[in-house]
Amino acid sequence: MAKYIGKRLIYMVITLALIATFTFFLMKILPGSPVASADKLSPEQRAVVEARYGLDKPLPVQYFDYMFGLVQGDLGISINQFKGADVTDVILSRMGPSAQIGFQGMVLGTVLGILLGMIAALRQNTWIDYTSTFVAIVGISIPSFVFASLLQYWFGLKWDLFPVALWKDGFMSSVLPSVALAMFPLATAARFIRTEMIEVLGSDYITLAKAKGASGSEIAFKHAFRNALIPLITVLGPMAVAILTGSLVVEQIFAIPGIGEQFVKSIMVNDFAIIMGTTIFFSVFLIVIILLVDILYGVIDPRIRLSGGKN
Amino acid sequence: MTQKFDKIPELPKGSFERITLDAKQAERITKPSVSFWQDAWYRIRKNKGALLSLILFGLIVIMSFLGPVISPYEPNAQTITHANLPPKVPGIEKLGILNGVGTLGGEKVDLYELKNVEVNYWFGTDGLGRDMFSRVWKGTQVSLFIAFVAAAIDMLIGVIYGGVSGYFGGRVDDIMQRIVEILTGIPNLVVVILFILIMDPGILAIIIALTITGWTGMSRVVRGQVLKYKSQEFVLAARTLGASDSRIIWKHLMPNVLGVIIINTMFTIPSAIFFEAFLSFIGLGLQAPDASLGTLINDGYALIQFAPHILAFPAILLSLIMIAFNLIGDGLRDALDPKMKD
Amino acid sequence: MKNSKIFWLLSLVLVLSAFLAACGGDDEKETGTDKTDGNETAGEPDAEQVLNLMESAEIPTMDISLAEDAVAFNIFNNVNEGLFRLNKENVAEPALADGEPTVSEDGLTYTFKLRDSNWSDGTPVTANDFVYSWQRSIDPATGSPYGAYMMAGSIVNATEIAAGEMEPTELAVTAVDDNTLEVQLERPVPYFMSLMSFPTFYPQNEAFISEKGDAYASNSDNLIFNGPFTLTDWDGTGLTWKMQKNPEYWDAETVKLETINWDVVKEPATAVNLYNSGEKDRAGLAGEFARQYANDENLVTDLEPTLFYFKLNQERKGEKNALENVHIRKAIAQGFNKQDLVDVVLANGSLPANYLVPTEFSFDENNADFRDVNGDLIEFNAEEAAEHWAMGLEELGVEEVTLEILGGDTETAKNMDAYLKDQLETNLEGLTINLKAVPFGVRLELDEAQDYDIQTAGWGPDYQDPMTFIDLFVTGSAQNKMSYSNSEYDALVESAKGELATDAAGRWEAMAKAEKILLADDAAIAPIYQRGAMALQQPYVNDIIKHPFGGDFSYKWAYISGK
Repeated sequence: MAKYIGKRLIYMVITLALIATFTFFLMKILPGSPVASADKLSPEQRAVVEARYGLDKPLPVQYFDYMFGLVQGDLGISINQFKGADVTDVILSRMGPSAQIGFQGMVLGTVLGILLGMIAALRQNTWIDYTSTFVAIVGISIPSFVFASLLQYWFGLKWDLFPVALWKDGFMSSVLPSVALAMFPLATAARFIRTEMIEVLGSDYITLAKAKGASGSEIAFKHAFRNALIPLITVLGPMAVAILTGSLVVEQIFAIPGIGEQFVKSIMVNDFAIIMGTTIFFSVFLIVIILLVDILYGVIDPRIRLSGGKN
Repeated sequence: MTQKFDKIPELPKGSFERITLDAKQAERITKPSVSFWQDAWYRIRKNKGALLSLILFGLIVIMSFLGPVISPYEPNAQTITHANLPPKVPGIEKLGILNGVGTLGGEKVDLYELKNVEVNYWFGTDGLGRDMFSRVWKGTQVSLFIAFVAAAIDMLIGVIYGGVSGYFGGRVDDIMQRIVEILTGIPNLVVVILFILIMDPGILAIIIALTITGWTGMSRVVRGQVLKYKSQEFVLAARTLGASDSRIIWKHLMPNVLGVIIINTMFTIPSAIFFEAFLSFIGLGLQAPDASLGTLINDGYALIQFAPHILAFPAILLSLIMIAFNLIGDGLRDALDPKMKD
Repeated sequence: MKNSKIFWLLSLVLVLSAFLAACGGDDEKETGTDKTDGNETAGEPDAEQVLNLMESAEIPTMDISLAEDAVAFNIFNNVNEGLFRLNKENVAEPALADGEPTVSEDGLTYTFKLRDSNWSDGTPVTANDFVYSWQRSIDPATGSPYGAYMMAGSIVNATEIAAGEMEPTELAVTAVDDNTLEVQLERPVPYFMSLMSFPTFYPQNEAFISEKGDAYASNSDNLIFNGPFTLTDWDGTGLTWKMQKNPEYWDAETVKLETINWDVVKEPATAVNLYNSGEKDRAGLAGEFARQYANDENLVTDLEPTLFYFKLNQERKGEKNALENVHIRKAIAQGFNKQDLVDVVLANGSLPANYLVPTEFSFDENNADFRDVNGDLIEFNAEEAAEHWAMGLEELGVEEVTLEILGGDTETAKNMDAYLKDQLETNLEGLTINLKAVPFGVRLELDEAQDYDIQTAGWGPDYQDPMTFIDLFVTGSAQNKMSYSNSEYDALVESAKGELATDAAGRWEAMAKAEKILLADDAAIAPIYQRGAMALQQPYVNDIIKHPFGGDFSYKWAYISGK
């Protein structure tokens, strides 16, 4: 196992280096000037500004400077969005709210989704099943920005249950954004668990357990649920990606000082350093999640570990 | 209580007939021979949900072409004096819905009367006085086009890449899988955004951006399936019987992998439509005045409180397409799985 | 399992009904929470003096020399102060200057006396703080976007310093003593007083800046103020900050507000929801929101002196195009309905613009609007446009022309461009317009390379004088990336800046003539609209003053009454 993880870690570093390289050169061919005020600066001043950000050096030098900084956790300096601020600091300062609503959304979505899927499977073809199916469909068929603005309008403004927006009232502020983010994991988990459990419930060993006189709840939890849960781990990766994507939208609508909101803005103002830094940050996040999922899966399901080790 | 039998009733002679076992007869298959597709079609026909979804989806596709034609207005034609009219359909206006009544400054008024509009807009109009009916269908057409092309490209690259990787295995597979691993490490969100930034925005840019890493999912699935089946007994049996590589691929591997490919595509299409909507939200969608479901929903969502029709129709269509695809996908999964043949 | 498919369909029906419910589900509309009817007349400050406001973008920098955006300028206007400040009537009046300056006969030397005033740490503001600030801004090493832009051509040696040919210390601004500042001008600048209210000319505290070093302006703890308020609780990258009354401010007794709470809200719909929930006291309105709230009693409308226009590029990437023909340009300039645009598409109090210099912006000594001289110069007229178009096509010897409109990527910009495309294509036969919406940074680069046909551009004034608009299109100017050149126009601008600088009436006339040439004769640009801004403001908020240039608002006089 340790060897497998070690190997994966090495791949991870290589992947990251390649991603950073790819992003760096992509940024260089992006249209638009990296200096927002280019139209007001004289050529002399522009040269000064470009020199300040190292933009005057030959491309290979810029590249190695950037990669060298990256190794030390230095993602460069913001040019437009937060003039002169360290990109690393910007990302760190914005991480808290994003992590909180992302985590809450993920947990809320998965837990509710599992419950919903389980009940649906156990009460197959009853109104409970249909309700849960309906929720799952809504979760995957309404864009998050529509859902978020509906939440804001009804739960925030009309019924005054939660803050309309802003990041001021601690946990209460995080409820609506988390719910908005939870919809996709919820829908995915519910559908997944329902299908898996129906399959497990129909399998021979459940019939055997029934024949041996195991109670309904024992079958549901001890056998069916546990076996249905394992494959769910495989969709944690896509769920995390969906949360990440959703955060761009949800943070903007609820005016939350998170990374997603800041990323959208950096695209609008052409802040190369921040776009690049956030890209790399997102990649690290995603790669780590994928690695964790694989390790977790290997720990839970020994068959995977075997094939993983061999490969 | 016991029953007593005085004597066993006698069976008449000739009740039984002796048969002779014919080895040739035993090998004959009496069931009509059905091809893979006939079988799939037979089974999907039995699945009412999937069938209805298929019909529904067919209708949507037809309407997406017919809609802009039967509407008296061009999708991009502006009648600025008719801006922001709610939907009005003659005939059912008596029911109190789709009767041209909308809110203005908090009051309910018949905006058609107010603005002296004689004609009817079935889905209402947007802020520039464009007919939402033809725009929504045109947008559906564009969204479906983007999704289908993206899905087709994903499928093509993914199947070839995954197939080659899985079938040949070994070193080739190793290298190819490392490449995929790196590509999946980059959040597709970021790749899509970067590509749209460097290209001229438009349909082409969106399709390329969606497919640039989108195919990796398909290639993984195909590879996994090929790996799984190529070592199974039936392939071994076919090989032993002297089947050629191409026969193994087309007759034995493909039917097994095809189901997964189709199902995967069925789920790629809605996610492509969805991603396009997301791109519209962050301002990287289609160029005005072109419409897609994504841009229409994006135009409408902020107006939920005042002009819900601008959001409602494209959102309903999006939901319908999503639901239809999920049902068709589920149906196909059942129908195309050779294990479920009865 | 298969049976359940039917119920997927059932849920489909449910989705539909949910949407239909959403369609009909807004019988009542919220309009403000605390209504204080009949209390419209400005009362005395009575409630808690706290104002809750929103901004649409975060602060990119709080360094006076580096700032170039509306958010920062608005903050500077309220937490710092220069020699002059725009008053409630938007006239520049002495602020840190102790009365009007003495001006030499030739109008080239200004001597300002400073009033006694303090920085927020209690140390006095001296003439040296101005000298340091201006030198810092003109120093090319600082890379200040506005430094050279505001000073070059006005203050002696500024041009040379910006080009790196002279030392910043040679800028002709000197501290005669702690309370006397002397400025030498290259040429008379009739609007110099209004320039002095622009943030670039504010003082900066040298001791503080050198003490903080790199940390300067990185968050609100590393800033120093001399205006009506101080900035607090700003972490440098966040979406929230506060303004607190500055007890050290020389005119602190005028300032009634204790605190202003700021939050960045980028979604217009969210901003309106926050206003309606009572959490925020003012929310800007755009598009559909403006239309819906058009009759709201709490609506405030401001006309801004910001002009939006088409730049008509006559030479794309070195190649002449159809826009080089004056008839084609006139056809385009007259070929779209501006009234419908402002009424329906924008619906935010904007005015159709048939001019370059905005209305209600600059006035002569008799308080007559500059706009009154020329009036409308180029109006929408479909017939005339079609005639010009036909003539133009004939002269060019073509039947069809395809042009690209390069525009912004905001919702408003995209909507407007879609409308203008439709108008032009309808009114001018044989014209095909392609739209290209790009982020601002990309647009700048395309503009720089002259890689566009038509561009929607906007311009807001930097000082209160028609010249801030008139000189935009002289040959070779940075804003004239469209190969427009007219020697008569250039000469008029030159004379207004030079020999006529002290002759107010003659100068006025020269500028009016130049405007006429630009639009009526040459149709070098096609004016579209003068921007209006609508906002909802709670009735208990009083005396937020909107300014035409520099910082957008002053809260110095604002107060809460009747909350």
